Amino acid sequence: MTDMTKTGKPAGKSGKTRIVLIILAVLIAVGIGLSFTTPNLEDFENAVPDSFKELEAVRATVPTYHNYGFISDYVMTKKVSSVSAERISMLGFAGQIIPTDGSTFLTFTVNCLNWFPNLIRGAGTTVALTLVSVLVGIFLSVFLALGKMSHIPVVRPFCRAYIFFFRGTPLLMQLFFVWFGLPLINPLLTLQSKFTAACIAFSLNCGAYCAEYVRAAIESIDKGQFEAAKALGFGYGRTMFKIIIPQTYKRVIPSFANEFIMVLKDASLTSIIAMEDLSKATQNILTSTNQVSVYIPAMALYLLMTWACTKLFGALEEKFSIYQ
Amino acid sequence: MPIIKVEHLYKNFGNLEVLKDCNLEVNEGEVVCIIGPSGGGKSTFLRSLNHLETITSGKIWIDDKLIDDRTHEHNHAKISKKETEAVLLELGMCFQRFNLFPHLTVLQNVMLAPVDIRKMPKDEAKALAKDLIARVGLSDKLDEYPSRLSGGQQQRVAIARALAMKPRIMLFDEPTSALDPELVGEVLQVMKDLAKSGMTMLVVTHEIGFAREVADKVVFMYDGTMLETGTPEKIFNSPDNERTAAFLNAVL
Repeated sequence: MTDMTKTGKPAGKSGKTRIVLIILAVLIAVGIGLSFTTPNLEDFENAVPDSFKELEAVRATVPTYHNYGFISDYVMTKKVSSVSAERISMLGFAGQIIPTDGSTFLTFTVNCLNWFPNLIRGAGTTVALTLVSVLVGIFLSVFLALGKMSHIPVVRPFCRAYIFFFRGTPLLMQLFFVWFGLPLINPLLTLQSKFTAACIAFSLNCGAYCAEYVRAAIESIDKGQFEAAKALGFGYGRTMFKIIIPQTYKRVIPSFANEFIMVLKDASLTSIIAMEDLSKATQNILTSTNQVSVYIPAMALYLLMTWACTKLFGALEEKFSIYQ
Repeated sequence: MPIIKVEHLYKNFGNLEVLKDCNLEVNEGEVVCIIGPSGGGKSTFLRSLNHLETITSGKIWIDDKLIDDRTHEHNHAKISKKETEAVLLELGMCFQRFNLFPHLTVLQNVMLAPVDIRKMPKDEAKALAKDLIARVGLSDKLDEYPSRLSGGQQQRVAIARALAMKPRIMLFDEPTSALDPELVGEVLQVMKDLAKSGMTMLVVTHEIGFAREVADKVVFMYDGTMLETGTPEKIFNSPDNERTAAFLNAVL
């Protein structure tokens, strides 16, 4: 009985998973491909359907109309009129390939294709921010955890205070402080990019959370392991890094996966300092096209990222479980 | 010249006196078995020797070097930390619960300390490890993880791991107490072979048969004091102390 479910289930699951994966892979490949294309304004002019042209003509008469976000960047750098920019935002870079008029389903599909380059770019920023923050955070957390458990006079209170502070204050406020606050304290502390600012705030915050996971994992290791190491002549540092910490991998990976997913979603906070992450890209498209359906591909991308992350950490956990 | 000499050793846990005025001399090549009821301080005494416990007061010489000369835990011995560490490497230890490193294979468990602490080249350490694992009869388990071994096999690996540091003294803290009865024999056999090869051994044990057969000296500990020390014949056949007699009556 158990054998049947064991052999039956993965086969069906892998078939379904494969189809989903292929579709996603194609979509992403198209999106990435399109994100490298540079729009040719003439093609845009030609591709724009007449109904759009009328709409744009009306809009162009409104003097207070502005575009925001990457569109305005595009306007600034390429010196195109806001009317052209409007067209680009409505059609996306794929507008030159497929005009967006037709059935509802086709419209949505074409819209998705048009939005994809911007969404993918946003998702790329989100993933980059998450990766940097979690990796730096995990690195910090090991030392914070060891510091919090140590009996060294200055180190212990410092680590305790650090963890208390970063877990006890909102991430959004920490982000604001790094981006808006630091330059006010001293202009030299002005950060070059929003991405750097976000990385600093997120890494420091992530380090505090992961430190508690690491500490709990280290404290869950049998005392006998410390004694055996000491009896063999291992000092504190070697015991920790050669014997104890490698045993904690399996125990902290589920927590780290959790943290990774949290940061991935918390990265949307950066849209408040106008960083072009996936949430901000979605919001930009929404404000410029008024299409609520943009949330569908955006959320699908978030789901895809968390799914990939779950799979990755699952595989890691399995890898470190071989000895149990 | 004794290789281990302990004088007036006291150990307190808070207000509880666990060891009271323990004195012992062990000569090179001797096998000393420490017996007695649970809670008598046998394990604490053994752990004090290799600094898993810090003694409250007393003197400990190992290999003629005074490593502990304490009053109220403060050490008066004029010995650097480095020298102490070097002396303590002469002591190998096996635990009741084996304490193998679960994330390493049998071979890695045995190789780790020689490579990391003794700075032995990897090839040499590997050869040594394989040799020792063969000596405890587990050559076919080199690449297994400890969780896949029986208790007796794990304890034999633990012995090989301790021996890989080439200690001159081996401490055994109830090495067979956590084992199923049918696995006790294989571990005791390894220990007997070790004793025959001339290793100095201190064994805390409840295996009276092993003590009778292998020990050169038997110590009976009761309530933190070494009540009686003598040859196995003396202790087991005509103990002076009535507590010793009562304990032996109960276990034999």
